[in-house]
Amino acid sequence: MKKAHLYAIVILLFASLFNAFAEPSQELVNAAKKEGKVVVYSITSRISNAATAFEKKYGIKVEAYNLKDGELIEKVTREVGGNITGADFVICQDSGRVYGQLIAPGYLVNYIPDSMKNVIPKEYQNPLVFQFINKVFIYNSEKTQNPVIKNVWELTEPKWKGLVQFKDPKQEGVNANFLTMVTSPTWSERLAKAYEDLYGKKLVLTTPNAGYEWIKRWFQNGLILGNSDTTISENIGIKGQKAQTMGLFVYSKTRYDDAKNLALLPMTEVQPFSGFMYPAFLQMTKNAKNKNAAKLFIEYLLTDEGFKPWSKDVGAYSSNPSIKVDPTDHPVEFWASRLVFEDPQFLFENRADVEEFVNTLEYK
Amino acid sequence: MRFANRIKYYFRKPHNVILVVLAITLVFLTLLPLAALIRDTFIVHPSEIMTVRGAKVNDFTLFHWRKVFFDGTKSYKLFYEPLWNTLKVSLFSSILAIIIGGSFAWLITRTNICFKSFISVVFVFPYIMPSWTLAMAWLNFFRNRLIGGAPGLFTAITGIPTANWFAYGLFPTSVVLGLHYSPFAYILIGGILRNMDANLEEAALILKSSRAKIITRINLPIIMPAILSTFLLVFSSSMSAFAVPAFLGTPVRFQVLTTQLYRTLNGLNPGYGYIMAVVMIVIGLAILAMNQWYLGKRKSFVTVTGKSSNFSLIRFKKSKIPLSVIALLFVVAIAILPLVTFVIESFIMAPGDYSFSNFTTQFWVGKGREDIGGGEPGILLNKYLYMAFWNSLKLSLIVAIVVGIVGGLAGYAIVRGRGTKIASLVNSLAFFPYLLPSMAFGAIYLSMFAKPIGFLPSLYGTFFLLVLIGSVKYLPFASRAGINAMLQLSGEIEEAAIIMGVPWWKRMMKILFPIQKSSFLSGFLLPFISCMRELSLFVLLITPANRVLTTLLFQYNEKGWNQYANGINLLIIIVVLLINLAINKITGASIDKGIGS
Repeated sequence: MKKAHLYAIVILLFASLFNAFAEPSQELVNAAKKEGKVVVYSITSRISNAATAFEKKYGIKVEAYNLKDGELIEKVTREVGGNITGADFVICQDSGRVYGQLIAPGYLVNYIPDSMKNVIPKEYQNPLVFQFINKVFIYNSEKTQNPVIKNVWELTEPKWKGLVQFKDPKQEGVNANFLTMVTSPTWSERLAKAYEDLYGKKLVLTTPNAGYEWIKRWFQNGLILGNSDTTISENIGIKGQKAQTMGLFVYSKTRYDDAKNLALLPMTEVQPFSGFMYPAFLQMTKNAKNKNAAKLFIEYLLTDEGFKPWSKDVGAYSSNPSIKVDPTDHPVEFWASRLVFEDPQFLFENRADVEEFVNTLEYK
Repeated sequence: MRFANRIKYYFRKPHNVILVVLAITLVFLTLLPLAALIRDTFIVHPSEIMTVRGAKVNDFTLFHWRKVFFDGTKSYKLFYEPLWNTLKVSLFSSILAIIIGGSFAWLITRTNICFKSFISVVFVFPYIMPSWTLAMAWLNFFRNRLIGGAPGLFTAITGIPTANWFAYGLFPTSVVLGLHYSPFAYILIGGILRNMDANLEEAALILKSSRAKIITRINLPIIMPAILSTFLLVFSSSMSAFAVPAFLGTPVRFQVLTTQLYRTLNGLNPGYGYIMAVVMIVIGLAILAMNQWYLGKRKSFVTVTGKSSNFSLIRFKKSKIPLSVIALLFVVAIAILPLVTFVIESFIMAPGDYSFSNFTTQFWVGKGREDIGGGEPGILLNKYLYMAFWNSLKLSLIVAIVVGIVGGLAGYAIVRGRGTKIASLVNSLAFFPYLLPSMAFGAIYLSMFAKPIGFLPSLYGTFFLLVLIGSVKYLPFASRAGINAMLQLSGEIEEAAIIMGVPWWKRMMKILFPIQKSSFLSGFLLPFISCMRELSLFVLLITPANRVLTTLLFQYNEKGWNQYANGINLLIIIVVLLINLAINKITGASIDKGIGS
C-alpha cells in the first residue's frame, strides 16, 4: 500500500514537473499562427516587452495597449457589451469591479491552459491570476537604512505632516480598494489594537470605525496625493532632500534606483500592515476574435520565459509558483501576513461608501 | 398645388436647401445628444450596480440627483465646492486673458513698439500647446517641497521657496488657463482695434479730450463686444478644461467640476458626472444669454467703414525701448521658455540633474530599457507613436476640411437667409456645441453611439465617430468665420452672377470663395489646430487602436514618464507650427483671422 502511495506521489511530481516545462500543443500554435495577430489591453506597461519577445518567438503580431484600471474596465464594458471588436484578452485589476462589472455579466471568460492546471494553485485559477502586485511603505534611504516608522498611526502625527505621498485613489481603483479594505471588520480591529499598542490608550472614534478614523487622520495630516506612482517614487527617492520623506507606492518602482539615482527602501515590519497587495487577472474577452493567439499568449505569460519582463525585478509575483521571485525580494507567503489583500465581495459592497467618505476629506 | 409650388420655389434657392439640411443634421447631432444626456442622469449605469443597491442596469432612478444636490456635506464636497471652484477659475482666467490679450492687442495695433511681428507670431504659441503642458511647465518652474523631489527651477536659481497657493490649486490653474486662452482676447480685441475707424479718435483729439476719456468713452465701448465674446469663449473653455486642474490641483485636493466629471465617468458613478455636465451646459447658456442681451440692448457701431485706417499710432518716446523689451521678455517667458524646458526635460535621465553627464538620447532613439519607463523604446522608434501621430494628423485634417466646408456653407446660408427663423435656428445650433463642455460632449456621444440607432450601426471604436464629434465641436469656429466672410461681401456680387445665369456651385467656387479665400481658409486652420491639441473631447471615445497623440501624451504625463511626454509635446507643437506656417505662406490665412470679429 505504502509503495503505491509513493509511486503515486512520484508520478504526480513528475507530472507536475513535466507540466511546468510543457510546451503548448502544436495544434494551438498552428491555429494561433493562422490568426497571426492578438490584441491585449493591460494595466501593466511591461506587457510591451513580453509582446516583443512573443512576436519574436511565434511570429504572431501583438498589439499591446497599456490602460489605467478604470479605463480598461470601461472600455471592456462598452466593447464586449456592444459586441465591438477590441481586445482578445486583458490583464486587469480592481477585484470588486472586475467581478461585478465584467465577470458577472459574462464579458470576461476564464481560460486555464492545460499545462497550467496542475501548476497554478487552485485558488488562483478562477478567475485566473496573472500576478500579484504590491504597494508598500517606502522611504528615502539616503540618510538612514532603518525603517522610519513602526506603526501606521505614526503617519497621523504632526511630524509626518506633508511628508507622505500616495497616488490619488480616484485615479486608480486598487488604491480605493486598499482604503476600503482598511475599513473591514478585520483590519479596523487590527488598527484599533495597533493604536492602543502605540499610545497605550483606547482610540476615540469620530467615524464609523478605526479604519475610517485612520484614513481620516492620515488624509488630513497633509497627505499629498499624486497622479502617478512613478512620479511619487521620484519625489520620494531623489537625493539631497532636507526632510525625511516616504510614500505608499508600487514596490517595483524601486527598480529605477540605479538609472534615476534614487534612494528608496521598503519597510516590511510596520504594524498592523506594511502596505497592500492585489491580483492582476488574465482573462479572455467573450467576443475575442483571435481566440487561439490569445490562448497561446496567455500560456506564454504564465511561463518563466514569458514572465521575464516582470520577474527580473522586485515587486512582481507570478501565480505560477515555479517562477522564482527576485533574490532580494520575498515570496507572496512572506507578504501575506504583512499586507492588506482584496476581498472582492467586501469591496463590491463597500467601496462606494468609502470613496464618498474620502471625497469629503479636506486637504489640511 | 399652390403649396407644393411654394415648397418647390423655396427649395430652388440653394441657401434654403442648406439651411434645412443643416437644421435637421444639427438637431440630430446636438439637441438629441442633450436629450440623451438628460436621460442618462435618471438611469442606472453598468458601473453603478455597486452604488445603487439592489438596482439593475437601465433602471429608472433619482439616486444621482439626490446625491449630487441634496446630501449635505457629501453633496457639498462632490458638487457645490467643485462648482464654486470652477466658477472662480473660469472668472479669473477670463479676466486675466482679457487683460493680457487686450494689452498686447493694443500694444501691437496702436503703438509704435518694436518686435511687433515677432511678438504677434509668438503670442499665439500658448494656444497651440496642449493646455496642460503649460501646467507641466509651471510645475517645472515653481514646484516646491510640498510634493518633494527636486525643487523647481525658480527655487533652484533664486533660493526662494514658492508658497503652496502659488504652486498648486486655484491660483496657478487660473493663471495657466488665462495664459493659454489669452490669444483669444488678442485676436478678437486686436481685430476690432485694427479695423476701428480712426476718425472717431481724431475727432475726440481735435476736441481736446484727454487720453483717459478717449479710452473710456470711445475705445472701450467699441471693443466691448469683443471683450464680451472673449469672456464667453474663455469662460466656457476654462470651465471645460480638465487636464490643467488635474495636474495643478491634485496635490492640494483642489477639485473642479471636470475633475469630478472624469472621476465619476471613469469610476463608479457616471450618473453624477452626467448631472454635472448638464449644470455646465446651463452655465454656458446663461453666459451666452447675458452676452446676447447686452449686444441686443446697445446700439451697434459700424467698425469697418473702409475709410481711414491709417490712424496715428501712439508714439512712445523714452519708454519705447523698455516697454518693447518688457513685452518681448513676457512673450518669451510664456511662449518660448516652456518649449525650452520641454526640450531639456526630454533629454535628461535622472530627474532634476541638469549636468551634462546626465544627458541622454534614450527617450528619443534608445531601445527599450526596463529600468526606465516600462521598457518602452525612444519615441522615434515607437510604433505606437507613429500610429498615434498618423491618427492625429488624419483626424485633424479631415475634421478641418469637413468643418471648413460646412462652416463656409453655413455662413453663406445664414447670411443669405438672414431674418428668417430657420437661419437664426441654424446660427444658434452651429454655435451651441461651443457651450458643451468637451468631456461631457464626449460622454454623451459615447453613450449615444455605443449602440446602433436607427439606420446607424454602433459607432463606438470607429474613426468616424472621432471625426463626427470633432466636426460638430469645432463647427462654431468655422461658421463664425464663414458668417463674417459673407457679411463683408456685398450681395450684389452674387446677384450679378445670378443674372448672368451662373449656376450656384460655380458662383461659390469661382466668385465667393476666391474673394474671401483667406477668411474661409482661416475657418479650416483653427479647427485643425484645436483638433491637434485636443484631449478632453476624445479622451472617453478613443479606443486603444485609434489613439491620437494627445491621449498618448496625457498617458505618459500621468504615468510620470516625463521625458517621453515632453518629446511628444514638442512634436505636436512643431507639426502645428509648420502646417500653420505653410498655410500662411501659401494662402495668407492665419489663426488670427479664424475667430473673426
